[in-house]
Amino acid sequence: MSNSYNKPVLPKADSKKVSIVVDGADVEVPEGTNLVEALKTIGIDTPHFCYHQDLPVAGNCRQCMVETDGPRGMGLAIACYTPVRPGMKVATDRSSEKVKTARKAVMEFLLANHPLDCPICDKAGECTLQDNYMSSGKHESRMREEIGKQYKGAPEHRHLDAKGQDRGGKHIDLGPTVILDQERCILCDRCTRFMRDVAGDEQLYIAARGDHAFITTFPGQPLQHDYDLNVTDICPVGALTGKHFRFQQRVWLLSKTETIAPDDSLGANITVEHHDGHVWRIMPRRHPDVNKSWISNATRLLYQTLSENRLTGGSFRGADVPLADAVERARELVHGARKVALVASGHLTLEDNAALLALAESLGSRAEVFGGSWLAVGAPDGIARSGDPVANRLGCTLLGISDNLSDLVRRAKEFDCLVVAGHDLWAADAERAKSLSVIPERIALSAWHDATAQASTLAVGIRAWAEVRGSMINVQGRIQRLQAAPTAPTPDLEPAWQVISRLGHLGWTSEVDAFRFAQGRIPALSGLNYRTIGSQGRILEGVAP
Amino acid sequence: MARVVPRPEMTLAEKAYIPEILRGMRVTWSHFLKGFNEPETLPVQSYPEVQWEIDRNYRAKHRLMKRPDGEPRCVACFMCSTACPARCIHIEATESDDPRIEKKPAKFDIDLLVCVFCGLCAEACPVDAIRMDTKVIALAADTRGKFVATKEQLLDWNPADYPASDTQSQKAPGGLLNAEARARWAQGDAT
Repeated sequence: MSNSYNKPVLPKADSKKVSIVVDGADVEVPEGTNLVEALKTIGIDTPHFCYHQDLPVAGNCRQCMVETDGPRGMGLAIACYTPVRPGMKVATDRSSEKVKTARKAVMEFLLANHPLDCPICDKAGECTLQDNYMSSGKHESRMREEIGKQYKGAPEHRHLDAKGQDRGGKHIDLGPTVILDQERCILCDRCTRFMRDVAGDEQLYIAARGDHAFITTFPGQPLQHDYDLNVTDICPVGALTGKHFRFQQRVWLLSKTETIAPDDSLGANITVEHHDGHVWRIMPRRHPDVNKSWISNATRLLYQTLSENRLTGGSFRGADVPLADAVERARELVHGARKVALVASGHLTLEDNAALLALAESLGSRAEVFGGSWLAVGAPDGIARSGDPVANRLGCTLLGISDNLSDLVRRAKEFDCLVVAGHDLWAADAERAKSLSVIPERIALSAWHDATAQASTLAVGIRAWAEVRGSMINVQGRIQRLQAAPTAPTPDLEPAWQVISRLGHLGWTSEVDAFRFAQGRIPALSGLNYRTIGSQGRILEGVAP
Repeated sequence: MARVVPRPEMTLAEKAYIPEILRGMRVTWSHFLKGFNEPETLPVQSYPEVQWEIDRNYRAKHRLMKRPDGEPRCVACFMCSTACPARCIHIEATESDDPRIEKKPAKFDIDLLVCVFCGLCAEACPVDAIRMDTKVIALAADTRGKFVATKEQLLDWNPADYPASDTQSQKAPGGLLNAEARARWAQGDAT
């Protein structure tokens, strides 16, 4: 049984090194780590099911067997729960037949009653059971076909399948988000450990004993938690699947784009997975200091909004206009106005807000920039959300955009043109936003047909967060990159910075121009570029509040 | 190293050109006159009035195999569309109504204009649900859209057109083995 005290020690860049002997060769590995992690640092992958970097070690799958030296000579031990000891001897499957046989035997037991569901299983293609079979199984079947597979789980879910075989535990509805397939489960108990130690709400447990054990919820209780879809990621087989992605797409068809979540100021690292210009799912991307391996259900389901209610062209006084005409008209309005209010947004990237500042600069004293948000700020949940829905709030603050939306409401009558970029003011607080309606020309740059786009006289479509390149600064003061997935509903849509660059004749041709402008405003960004920020982001010195 | 192939030496008669041309024309004219005088002996057919017997193994238009109750055998696993080099198979999966079966296709379209008739889909299928043995090789339509074979069109075939030895086809509704297969299907056997 796992406990929170046996969290694995992970190697760090500054870990002290100790010398051990692996397969007869002397190697240096980080001190204090377990053998799975230590062997990984020297390029040896150890197959495993139950071990997970961000969960307590359970050591129940027995797949990660290696040979280590003990008082009675070399013997088998699980690599995930054997700490590195200076001078220890380790034999992996590269040198030890015993290790190979042990791993093969474990695979044979795990597959004995595992259904041959791969063609219809949503996990196929990213299944640990498939991977480990290829790396350390490949045994000849010793099963007797006339007996076939046996279902050992909960008796109320037993049935005969279309071939008359003993099956069971199929598509059990666990709750609003997750479906369980008990037959596919290999009882690694990652999901129960996640619910207990990460989510802090023990809703899943293992019932019954031995090979009759099965995963279930407490009687009559659903699996329902803000983070429960993470159990579908950590499930090494297709036992737990999310209803949102069930049967939607085969995983090997998906291309991956690494980006960050735009709905929270922690900026959880995610991978947008797309195929044929359509985003099919969002998966967490491991970052040890931001979101570990977890994302909230809200973040995970964000992709559904990417194809809903999109503003693909422009709209002028309620009538649809082509995008190019809308941009042209916006440019005329901005330049013809006596006094322009520009509303920046922490929902947009640093680059987009930099473009807005450059536009204000080009308009001189006729323009004024406002910032801030009317959305409620919650408390951090300690997993993968900071509670602040404005993802780039710190970035805006560093750019010198102050939290002064209330000023704009008070002084609305002074302006005759309003530009709102990527900010749904009317949805956040319709009552306060209503007072902005006294401004005769209201221009909204928006990816969606949202309340602000509808309340504006001119709406211009822009790309949404998954379709742009750029950067945001999260609540920790870490600058992180957004990458563009090729999924924009129409190829004509441009990122906000590009539209704003057209409004102000800035002549910017790529987000790098915008980033350079932001570097001029934020000294902490000096010396950085997209490559040095990297996929894991960079902490900016001295900017975290 | 390039290999040098020596040209054959020509005889004097060959070098003279005219005799060789006449020899060639003799072959041409003999065939022409033979076809003119006794056309029934020619090794040709008056296509399209008379057509060749096409082998079952010939990769022709696809069909989707049926279970005894008429539902497609397809489990929407996407193996065919993954194997397809032309990417002409478009599948959408959905939950099956039959509790014994988990997944079924909601949509199964093959764009026959894009298809290269390579047969990899039929080879990739783990449940023998797609075959290319319909012998339909001439496709005609007046719009591109009509060349897209839908699930319903692919399921529209008659077991009587297939030999009795093709047991899988005969288990479909209307087939010789359907009654028996249906009874076993009701008890839970679909082999």
